[in-house]
Amino acid sequence: MQRVLSMMMLGAALVLSGCASKVDYGDAQGRETVNTDFGSTDLQMIAAKMVDDMLVFPPIVQLTQNRRPVVFVDSIKNKTTEHVDTESITDTIQSKLLNSGKFRFVDMTKVESVRQQLDYQSESGLVDPNTAAQMGRQIGAEFMMYGNFSSIVKREGSTKDVYYKFTLKLMNIQTGIIEWANEKEIRKTKTKSLFGL
Amino acid sequence: MDGMSKACLTLMCVALLTGCASRSLFVSYPSQAAKWKAELAMAPVAVTPPEAGPQDNPPPEENAASSASGDSLVPANLAAEPPASPVISKLEAASSGADGVLYLQELGRVNQLQGRREASRQAFAGAVAAYDEEDASARIQVSSLAATGTSMLTNDNARAYIAPDYERIFTRAYQALNYWAANDATGTAVELRAAALEQQVAANKREKEIAKAEQEAEENNVDVGQFDGYFEGLNAVAGDVKSSFQNAWTFYLSALFWEAHGEYNDALVDYKKALEIHPDADMLKEDVQRVSAAMNGKKPDGGMVAILYEQGYVQPRAEFSLPIPTVHGFFSVAFPTYALQDKPRPNSLRVLDTAMQPLGETRVLADVGGLAAKDLKERLPGMLVRQTLRATAKYNLQKEANNNYGALGAFATQIYNLVSEQADRRSWLSLPAYAQATRFTLPQGEQTLILSTPQGDATLTVPVVNRGLTVIHAVALPGRLITRVLPVQEGPL
Repeated sequence: MQRVLSMMMLGAALVLSGCASKVDYGDAQGRETVNTDFGSTDLQMIAAKMVDDMLVFPPIVQLTQNRRPVVFVDSIKNKTTEHVDTESITDTIQSKLLNSGKFRFVDMTKVESVRQQLDYQSESGLVDPNTAAQMGRQIGAEFMMYGNFSSIVKREGSTKDVYYKFTLKLMNIQTGIIEWANEKEIRKTKTKSLFGL
Repeated sequence: MDGMSKACLTLMCVALLTGCASRSLFVSYPSQAAKWKAELAMAPVAVTPPEAGPQDNPPPEENAASSASGDSLVPANLAAEPPASPVISKLEAASSGADGVLYLQELGRVNQLQGRREASRQAFAGAVAAYDEEDASARIQVSSLAATGTSMLTNDNARAYIAPDYERIFTRAYQALNYWAANDATGTAVELRAAALEQQVAANKREKEIAKAEQEAEENNVDVGQFDGYFEGLNAVAGDVKSSFQNAWTFYLSALFWEAHGEYNDALVDYKKALEIHPDADMLKEDVQRVSAAMNGKKPDGGMVAILYEQGYVQPRAEFSLPIPTVHGFFSVAFPTYALQDKPRPNSLRVLDTAMQPLGETRVLADVGGLAAKDLKERLPGMLVRQTLRATAKYNLQKEANNNYGALGAFATQIYNLVSEQADRRSWLSLPAYAQATRFTLPQGEQTLILSTPQGDATLTVPVVNRGLTVIHAVALPGRLITRVLPVQEGPL
């Protein structure tokens, strides 16, 4: 009887603890394998691979030896079957490159705000002309960074296979020459389990 | 013996309790759908013809921002959206139940027709998440075994609703239209690619699944052929539809989109797929020729105007009584089917210019009723197996009650068997009966068009851009015609 009771207690405890939801902090760099959709680990792998590769590419090393070229980031074309925030990928790449001290960037998404601020500084009469930023003194970008993000999805029976390919290119705007390009491939496969709730 | 009958009755109670999760267990689904159909027929909608004027393209910055943020639709031209009605809140409540995916589909569609684009997008995104979950779920699930167990003593409505492929494809297409309406070309492209992927996957898995179901029927000694005579109506409704998922309308939608953005390769593939489904369509042959010429650099002047026309509602499943032979004799079970007399006839939308000269007439690209009937037909072997097992289970229950609980028990069980015998009549009912399309070329500038349908006429002024694409989405519901003009698509993606 004692045994039955203790078993029941244990069972009840299990049921109760199973129902409690909990919040926890995880490692932001940890591997995320919730499903085959594009996720944080994919983003981190892509950004790391692109930046590492670019910074050791001999012509780029040579190019950035004595100066920090100015780059602008064009959009990454999303050609996958998922709604992916490609700006977030380029943001990470941009931050990493910037932090390497080799490149500088101009932000084309903020042109309108900058123009408003410049107009305010020069035309409102409220800003000391000696400290006002002057029109027409911005530095033109030398390179353009752009790319494609595509995927091939196969689903049959209990298997789902997703292949991602992220291509990034660096083009010299004046000459039109692509100075550097690289791609990151990712394959994720999910097999259905036999049993589940 | 007594223990067994007790267990049986307990199971019956459990069946009833778990069945509560499925709303269609005792109330037929078509009668539920009548509520939102009634509302769609009357509700004054923000996107009625006079207001659906040309929508300007938002400035480029805004466009870039919305496509970059990907998941969020920040519509540039969001008019005051009509408030959600009680029917909508009911649908929302139902969307968390066992048949959630079905209600999410309905919710997305009803919201879209009533002009609540963001709500529609969220509902369809929820449905897509449910598809993903379904695809990723374990092959043998405890919960679905329990539901199947419940369905043995009640009816097939106890099983969680699994959206058939043709519904998945429509969800993707409608979601693409939501993104298109928000002028998010990237989002539209993603959904159109996903729609194509669904069709691809459906084509791959189809043959295997049918073979498996037939094998199962054989193993359970159910001769599917003996029921052929009962399903002649189903064959008639399916008509000349070749497969339950091939949808030329969504192919056409994506082909138009790719062509407008200069992606001629993709456009050609999709036009050809549509032509494969409707080999006799002259419109599609012309499209293939035009895009082939465009690939060689021959692009005529003028802009394309396309009409996507959705007619009426797909007919609901009907119910009939099918005598199933069991070891104890025939046992009558309710079975779903489609009746030919319920199926509306196709009618086309004609487009006239202001001088009343005809510009085009829509053509049926997807016979949704046919797709639904074909889908039901493909599911028949599996359903017949379950019905045979169910007939036996219910017969045994009745016999147990007769033996152990006397007249009252037998009567109660009989009543229960009668009430619980409901055919599975669930399917996405706010889909159109026919999805049609046409297209024609007009010179650049503002053009006034007259759309004429049996459900009503509409006069629209639409912007036409050289080598651009203007799409008018027209939905004819009983008694009214909803039209909206989607933002012009042009230039590279």
